[in-house]
Amino acid sequence: MDHTEKSYLTRGEALPQYYAEDRLVILPRDPYNIFAYWELSLPTREALKEKVGAEQWPGVTFLLRVCKYTWDSEEVVESYFDLNVNPEHDNWYISVQDADRLYHVELGWKLPQGSFQKILRSNSVRTPRDSLSDLIDEEWQLPDWKAQKLFRRISLYHLSSAELFRRPKKIK
Amino acid sequence: MAQGFLALILHAHLPYVRHPEYEYSLEEKWFFEAITECYMPLLMVFEKLAEERIDFRLTFSLSPTLLAMLEDPLLRERYRQYLQRLQELARLEEERTAGDPDFAPLARLYRHHFDTVADYFNRYNGRLVNAFRKLAEMNYLELITTASTHAYLPLLMLQPESIYAQITNAVQYHQAIFGEMPRGIWLPECAYDHGLEDIISELGLQYFITATHGVLYASPRPKYGVYSPILTKSGVAVFGRDPETSKQVWSSQEGYPGDYDYREFYRDIAYDLPLDYIGPHLHPPGMRSDTGIKYYRITSEGLEYKEPYRPERAREKAALHAGNFMFNREQQVKYLSAVMGRPPIIISPYDTELFGHWWFEGPQWLDFLCRKIAYDQQHLKLITPGEYLDLGYPLQLSNPNPSSWGDKGYHEFWLNGSNDWLYRHLHKAAEEMIALATTYPEAEELQKRALCQASRELMLAQSSDWPFIMTSGTMDNYARSRAENHLIRFRSLARQINEGTIDPAWLSALEQADNIFPHLDYRLYQSFESTVPVELTAGAGML
Repeated sequence: MDHTEKSYLTRGEALPQYYAEDRLVILPRDPYNIFAYWELSLPTREALKEKVGAEQWPGVTFLLRVCKYTWDSEEVVESYFDLNVNPEHDNWYISVQDADRLYHVELGWKLPQGSFQKILRSNSVRTPRDSLSDLIDEEWQLPDWKAQKLFRRISLYHLSSAELFRRPKKIK
Repeated sequence: MAQGFLALILHAHLPYVRHPEYEYSLEEKWFFEAITECYMPLLMVFEKLAEERIDFRLTFSLSPTLLAMLEDPLLRERYRQYLQRLQELARLEEERTAGDPDFAPLARLYRHHFDTVADYFNRYNGRLVNAFRKLAEMNYLELITTASTHAYLPLLMLQPESIYAQITNAVQYHQAIFGEMPRGIWLPECAYDHGLEDIISELGLQYFITATHGVLYASPRPKYGVYSPILTKSGVAVFGRDPETSKQVWSSQEGYPGDYDYREFYRDIAYDLPLDYIGPHLHPPGMRSDTGIKYYRITSEGLEYKEPYRPERAREKAALHAGNFMFNREQQVKYLSAVMGRPPIIISPYDTELFGHWWFEGPQWLDFLCRKIAYDQQHLKLITPGEYLDLGYPLQLSNPNPSSWGDKGYHEFWLNGSNDWLYRHLHKAAEEMIALATTYPEAEELQKRALCQASRELMLAQSSDWPFIMTSGTMDNYARSRAENHLIRFRSLARQINEGTIDPAWLSALEQADNIFPHLDYRLYQSFESTVPVELTAGAGML
């Protein structure tokens, strides 16, 4: 097979492993597992090393703090647990206890006698439900499909007429 | 009035596998096989039913990547050549097997089949989308769309703009080809997560389909389970897959396709005949890979002992299985309508590529099923999800449950040790695309072309097929390099746009190589903070 054209299109480049930035992202895999990936940029690592001091540095452990929200809230953290992570790792599958719960994760460090120091905070995700809902609250609606509205997103830059405005709906 | 409804939904999708750089590509062959073995045989079944005025309804989800390939002139021409080679091989096979009581009739069957599909293809000048369009205009098919490149949406929710772009472009492309808004959307892999319904509703789509537990585990608990759609707060109806019907057709053990009288998929003449005879007719020549000509029936478990295929016996089985399927649905609707007090809808979605490719008799089975439902019973009626909504039943308000129809029911097949490395890069690229589209809202000419091409590269990288193939482990190098190459091209484009150093010759080469969605508008990626949803005037009906 002829690869010349393909390498021309990719300009002989490769995908970088990292993007020189600080980032912690979580994704829901199933009701009891969350996938986390992260990157700590070199400047962040160095600043941290400096803050801790060369003497103390070998004693530092890195942790993922897994925070679970209360059943019906998106603000109140009910409980958390910590997982030790190897700083060389850049991702982890986290087992969690509750389906249908909101979680977020923090990446941090601590010294043997010290407390958890947060470096990064992730987005929040809700784990899927794995059973029938206990909520039996019947509300019925007769949709009018003919009256259904159709929207197109328009750049604020392009809008000319005030009547066209609809309040943007918040999308999670 | 029927006691209940059956909605057969066929989801047709292949990733964009167009490789002008190679004379023969195995991946293009996936597409050619699907046209020969699935799409055309099914279209012929539907046209025949329509000709005979048999009352039937089916829903077809056609992925934008598949539509783009069906409409691509290069692939159409290559398909013609591919089919010609198959026709030649089938004629040689007729000569070779002449006089053999087992194989001569089978060789004739394949020759006839390839000649028939070739005629059909020519009748539409290779524009098979027009065959779908015609059946939709006659109200036999309801055509719906799916995400532009079949992206696995729940794992891309961090950048909702990229989901908006995947769906909006799909709806626009569907309209451009079929002249109508799709009423519903197939979520790739039935994969749902909270929030998707808001984007779907904004675009005027009325429904989507989830796995069984997408509706069954919805909250509040749906009173009618999966046998009535639920309604989300944003006003989109959600239909859940019926578990019984999926098992009867899907399962290789308990399901119909594993019947010993049906044709064996894994025994192809490509592996049985000497290379000096069959070699020139293979794709690529000389390399043993399936021709589609298969002379044996499943016969028994295992691959050792196989007897010659008997088309008549298989046909009788297909009729028997269609009758059995219908009987079970009748029982199901009788029971359900009694307990529900309103007609249930049974949602039976399948991958189209099952019918004809894996399950050779699949199109025949569907043919029998539609005829039997029209003539042999009165409890059951075929319907589309859109038509069901038109019946005007009140729907229960409920939030669907995140899920997929993949292994284990959630996202693991697309998120595991073999493919999780990909998401870091997909998220980063989506973020960059949003920044680009927001920074350059008024791009023109070369810059605009580069931005549109960057959108195409991002979309192509987002196909759910790449992580899927990485998990299943065959052709995983191909999947990995496809995802990587599109991401690399995207990054180079992004850098050139930001630095003002766009290379016109290279951009043209990219536009030719990754030529999907010529009218894709990069501004679909503008950040939600910089855009507002504007209601389109009544009657415009087009995005």
